[in-house]
Amino acid sequence: MSISMALFSPPISSPHQNSNLIPKISLSLLSTKRLSLVSLTRASSDNGTSTPASATVSATTVEAPKPVAVEEVPVKSPSENGAVGGEETDLTTTTTEIKFQDAKWVNGTWDLKQFEKEGKTDWDSVIVAEAKRRKWLEDNPETTSNDEPVLFDTSIIPWWAWMKRYHLPEAELLNGRAAMVGFFMAYFVDSLTGVGLVDQMGNFFCKTLLFVAVAGVLFIRKNEDLDKLKGLIEETTLYDKQWQAAWKEPESSSSSTVSSKK
Amino acid sequence: MATFALKSFTGLRQSPTDQITFVSNVPSSLSRSQRRTSLKVTASRASPKLANRSLRVAVIGGGPAGGAAAETLAQGGIETILIERKMDNCKPCGGAIPLCMVGEFNLPLDIIDRRVTKMKMISPSNIAVDIGRTLKEHEYIGMVRREVLDQYLRERAEKSGATVINGLFLKMDLPENWDSPYVLHYTEYDGKTGATGQKKTMEVDAVIGADGANSRVAKSIGAGDYDYAIAFQERIRIPDDKMTYYEDLAEMYVGDDVSPDFYGWVFPKCDHVAVGTGTVTHKGDIKKFQLATRNRAKDKILGGKIIRVEAHPIPEHPRPRRLSKRVALVGDAAGYVTKCSGEGIYFAAKSGRMCAEAIVEGSQNGKKMIDESDLRKYLEKWDKTYLPTYRVLDVLQKVFYRSNPAREAFVEMCGDEYVQKMTFDSYLYKRVAPGSPLEDLKLAVNTIGSVFRANALRREIEKLNV
Repeated sequence: MSISMALFSPPISSPHQNSNLIPKISLSLLSTKRLSLVSLTRASSDNGTSTPASATVSATTVEAPKPVAVEEVPVKSPSENGAVGGEETDLTTTTTEIKFQDAKWVNGTWDLKQFEKEGKTDWDSVIVAEAKRRKWLEDNPETTSNDEPVLFDTSIIPWWAWMKRYHLPEAELLNGRAAMVGFFMAYFVDSLTGVGLVDQMGNFFCKTLLFVAVAGVLFIRKNEDLDKLKGLIEETTLYDKQWQAAWKEPESSSSSTVSSKK
Repeated sequence: MATFALKSFTGLRQSPTDQITFVSNVPSSLSRSQRRTSLKVTASRASPKLANRSLRVAVIGGGPAGGAAAETLAQGGIETILIERKMDNCKPCGGAIPLCMVGEFNLPLDIIDRRVTKMKMISPSNIAVDIGRTLKEHEYIGMVRREVLDQYLRERAEKSGATVINGLFLKMDLPENWDSPYVLHYTEYDGKTGATGQKKTMEVDAVIGADGANSRVAKSIGAGDYDYAIAFQERIRIPDDKMTYYEDLAEMYVGDDVSPDFYGWVFPKCDHVAVGTGTVTHKGDIKKFQLATRNRAKDKILGGKIIRVEAHPIPEHPRPRRLSKRVALVGDAAGYVTKCSGEGIYFAAKSGRMCAEAIVEGSQNGKKMIDESDLRKYLEKWDKTYLPTYRVLDVLQKVFYRSNPAREAFVEMCGDEYVQKMTFDSYLYKRVAPGSPLEDLKLAVNTIGSVFRANALRREIEKLNV
């Protein structure tokens, strides 16, 4: 289709498979990135349900020489989604896409040596780097490649690093909340009934209240959590209900063998 | 208990009394209270002997379920009619069958185009995990062409004595009395291509509905609806050097880009690969998901040509009513597709066989009329044997397909050898095998760890978004 031709960006002269990517230069972490590249359209068939269309899917991956700068944050270029019904034989067109690039991402995994701080690996920055990589991939899904498999496994980051970063702050928050609620409730109950803290602990009703308070602090942190919990409970039992539906027919069918009901 | 027994007695007296022998099922009424399911036991009260003829059963649909059912019925001495609308139908399908199916159904090995012994699971962030190290020499996942498999099973049914009719089932008249037959209306195609076929009717005693996800039999008996996924697939012929990579390897891609509640796949077929994806909740975006799947596999299917595009609904759970009087549903028509993996061929064939066995037994090889209680036995057996499997897969889907962090955790878990062994054992042999408790505990701890890490990374990502 002629539209696809229009989608070709100007610098291209011929639909060859090689493409050049001028190396990205980043001045600083968050500065603007200058990027120029050559992109070619990719002819793809979108007529899903009609007669079998032929389309070739081809792409080249682009490698950029590592710049000297501190850290690169690659920029995505809008890869072309030319909607072309190519009935003819293979249209060999290519698209360049920016793959995830990072100085510390070596051979499909993070090079831990580059994350060292004062002689020890700085796990926090590894975690942040992996998060950035995943965010990048969520926004720009990439093809997998047999030549460059991704081998990173989050379990190489030791458990205490995860605890320190995520569990402990949250635990502190929740414990603080529970403590405040607990203190106020103890005072309130004491002022109403005169039962002191130690005696409250011996009382079954107070123990139940305590349990409810702890559970509430743990599970309900936002107003939406209440509905989420209800939805979760419903969800867990839904599949079972669907299976048991066959057995729950209005059992006038017990007389179905006897009477001549339709 | 006594009052119930009494009720059935009085009921009997009102009904027609020719040749009625009351067969009391005392044991089953005793166990009724023990059974969880609220099954009202109906004594198979009058299985009157059929004079001068065998039981006539029609099987609607000639796929794996229909073929297996027809064969078992015919072998059991029942007059079987199999109605299939398209004899050379290439049902859009992943085409994977577990090892146990080859043995249980005596499938010849040349039906299997490929033996997949390796799988690759690819997470949203392209972390790839190889699965299959734990497989033994003789274990594999068989990839078949549906047209070949279906044809084979139908032919076997025919050889066992079933009559195979090329026709399209239209509708069914339900019987007015308990001993009236079902009247089937169908269009018979008599081999002349392009002909509109002849409208015909047929009277049968019982019907097995094996006509797939859009079952008309199910509609006729008011079986109710189910949620279904749309599976969309493109068959792509790729160059030979790329095909060697997929020689015995299948890939599964998970991610929000590929599907919000299912997975994308690349399955090798006889001489091409099938690239597809599916979804329940976002059916309108299926093309987008397909593009994303192709994108993720782009390098590996470079230079390929799309030779066929196909789509089909996949049931997500059983219909509310899987049988009604002397009509039973099997296979996709009943909704026997597992969650998480979307596997249906084996369960279709097995349910067809199980239903047919129940009919053969209930009718004593075709000599007596059957009734609903005989078919209920098939449902009971089915639920008892496979409900745990379905439940486990449902839990897996709920836990691991809900979000990208969950999927990342899932892929990480799949790297564990114990997980692989358990997964393959339960997939290939269809039993939820109990593993060792210590390993299970380790697995639980690892699962929690993976999920925690993935969710922690998710929170980190959200922090970056701000």
